[in-house]
Amino acid sequence: MNNNTNVKLRLNNSELWGGLIGLSLGGFVIWSGLKLKLGTINDPGSGYVLFYTGILMCVFAISIILAAITEGGPTFASRWENARWGKPVLVIVCLAAFAFALEPLGFLLSAIPLMLLLLRVIDPVRWSLAIPLSILAPLGMWWVLKHLLAIQLPSGMFEIG
Amino acid sequence: MDTLVNVAHGLGVALLPVNLLYCFIGVFIGTLVGVLPGIGPISAMSLLLPVTLSGTPESGIIMMAGIYYGSMYGGSTTSILVNIPGEAASVVTCIDGHQMAKQGRAGPALGISAFGSFIAGTFSLVALMLVAPSLASVAIAFGPAEYFSLMVLGLVVLTFLTQGSMAKALLMACIGVVLGLVGLDSITAQPRLTFGRIELIDGIGLVPVVMGLFGVAEVLLNTEQAIKRDIIKTKITQLLPSREDWKASSGPVARGTVLGFFLGILPGGGAVVASFASYALEKRLSKHPERFGHGAIEGVAGPESANNSAAGGAFIPLMTLGIPPNVVMALLLGAFVIHGLQPGPLMISQNPTLFWGIVASMYIGNLMLLVLNLPMIGMWVQLLRLPYNVLFPLIILFTIIGVYCSSNNVFDVHVMIAFGVIGYFMRKLGYEPAPLVLAFVLGPMLENNLRKSLILSQGDLMTFVERPISAICLAFALVLLVGPLLPSLRRKRELVALDEGA
Repeated sequence: MNNNTNVKLRLNNSELWGGLIGLSLGGFVIWSGLKLKLGTINDPGSGYVLFYTGILMCVFAISIILAAITEGGPTFASRWENARWGKPVLVIVCLAAFAFALEPLGFLLSAIPLMLLLLRVIDPVRWSLAIPLSILAPLGMWWVLKHLLAIQLPSGMFEIG
Repeated sequence: MDTLVNVAHGLGVALLPVNLLYCFIGVFIGTLVGVLPGIGPISAMSLLLPVTLSGTPESGIIMMAGIYYGSMYGGSTTSILVNIPGEAASVVTCIDGHQMAKQGRAGPALGISAFGSFIAGTFSLVALMLVAPSLASVAIAFGPAEYFSLMVLGLVVLTFLTQGSMAKALLMACIGVVLGLVGLDSITAQPRLTFGRIELIDGIGLVPVVMGLFGVAEVLLNTEQAIKRDIIKTKITQLLPSREDWKASSGPVARGTVLGFFLGILPGGGAVVASFASYALEKRLSKHPERFGHGAIEGVAGPESANNSAAGGAFIPLMTLGIPPNVVMALLLGAFVIHGLQPGPLMISQNPTLFWGIVASMYIGNLMLLVLNLPMIGMWVQLLRLPYNVLFPLIILFTIIGVYCSSNNVFDVHVMIAFGVIGYFMRKLGYEPAPLVLAFVLGPMLENNLRKSLILSQGDLMTFVERPISAICLAFALVLLVGPLLPSLRRKRELVALDEGA
């Protein structure tokens, strides 16, 4: 890797941040283990395994951080080099919106717009295919689940579906 | 003699019309997800996990198993014709398979891949029938210390074989253990890491975690790149390999079969490791290693046989010890648990119908796959033309419905989306999800067996080294943990390290 992608002791070193996240998670797990009570080695408590797993997490995270400091690592920018990063962000936004809409609007009213958005926004599919597919796929699924497998999908406040 | 009687009994179960139908659905879906890049056996199995609830345990497990070994067949089609592996175990088939296709020999490549897979699948089933009952009778004597050490070994082997830094893989495994412990403590019934959410009392569901980390994260990664497919346009003719092809392939098929079976049994191993190991072995044994990478049929025959054989071998630790050796088997364990069954040493004696029925159905499934993958190859080629921008919204829709159906709970859909986003960033930062998922499944068992062995031994840690099987497992795990510190072993690890994704 060249100097732009493999940097030592810089804040945009992605390995360093990965290790720091691991370390903070490990710290949280240790604290949770302590809170749950460790018990004794003869009679381990609910927090016993959590506590020691947390210690292991910290050890591995520290080794990642040390490697990032001594050997360097790729920057965040290089991880997304030549990638259309906007596309996954759009998918995530669509999924988040769907997750919030699913319960109040119900499956059909939230899945149809989700499908239409995914079909049209990421790598646009022509309208003549996107519209029927975004309506028929969720509708077909809903019908199979409701009538053949007797599974009720959320119907939302409008009780559609 | 007993084995033959049991096989006949198993065939009686497997040949029931409903089980034949489930077997066909399983191998068909398996081939389909193997053929389609961007969706693998893990996503497909987690998607269909809730569907298994509608039938008997035999039918559900038969279908799930069919998806796994079916995907091993289907994966080769995409590798050979498009140069994109349909699933991880077929990565190595791209190297020589696609070159053969470019040289107008797609037919023999597909043919030897299907026949090699069939031979290997058959061998591994016979070996499964012979080995599993004997191993199960030995495993009855296993105590919590042995189980704990075996699970530790399984996790360490998987982290050793995972692509990239071992520290990252071990960190992922630890996170998996922690996530597996969310919910009520099985001994004290104390809630752990539930954050006051009633939905987390029973723990985090396996389906949303797997669908998020493998299904949604895979889609997010794929949307980053414009997937270009260079499908071989010439008509595929002469699927039967010639006499020369058979002569060149018989050795690789035999070696790949045996190697794959043993690598499949090992905890942490599996089809992906087997296919890479077989390719390396054939290249090393070849008198003309320079032909590899330029369309050598041995480079297709060996790995394809190995990955199918490993798929059969991987059932042994699950069926006899109740320990899943890889993520796919962890999902199968989930299917067993959904039906209130616990695979392990007693399953073969207490549920012979289930065990022998599954084994017999796998043989029937192999025959079905031969028909699906040779005469019907044209249909799969047509499917390859389905553009990804149409396919991925459907994958997302299936994952949402699959997760919702597994628990009838919107919370699980949220969990899946969250794990999808986490999985995407994990992959981008070089953290593989496979150790996390296996540890997530093994976590509660690991904790239970550790606590039981400490209580039984009154806190004496020597219990883990005084018992020979436990000591061997821990010693081997230690070698693998310390080994990468040595430069020579580190280089070897980098050669075999794999991406077990999708």
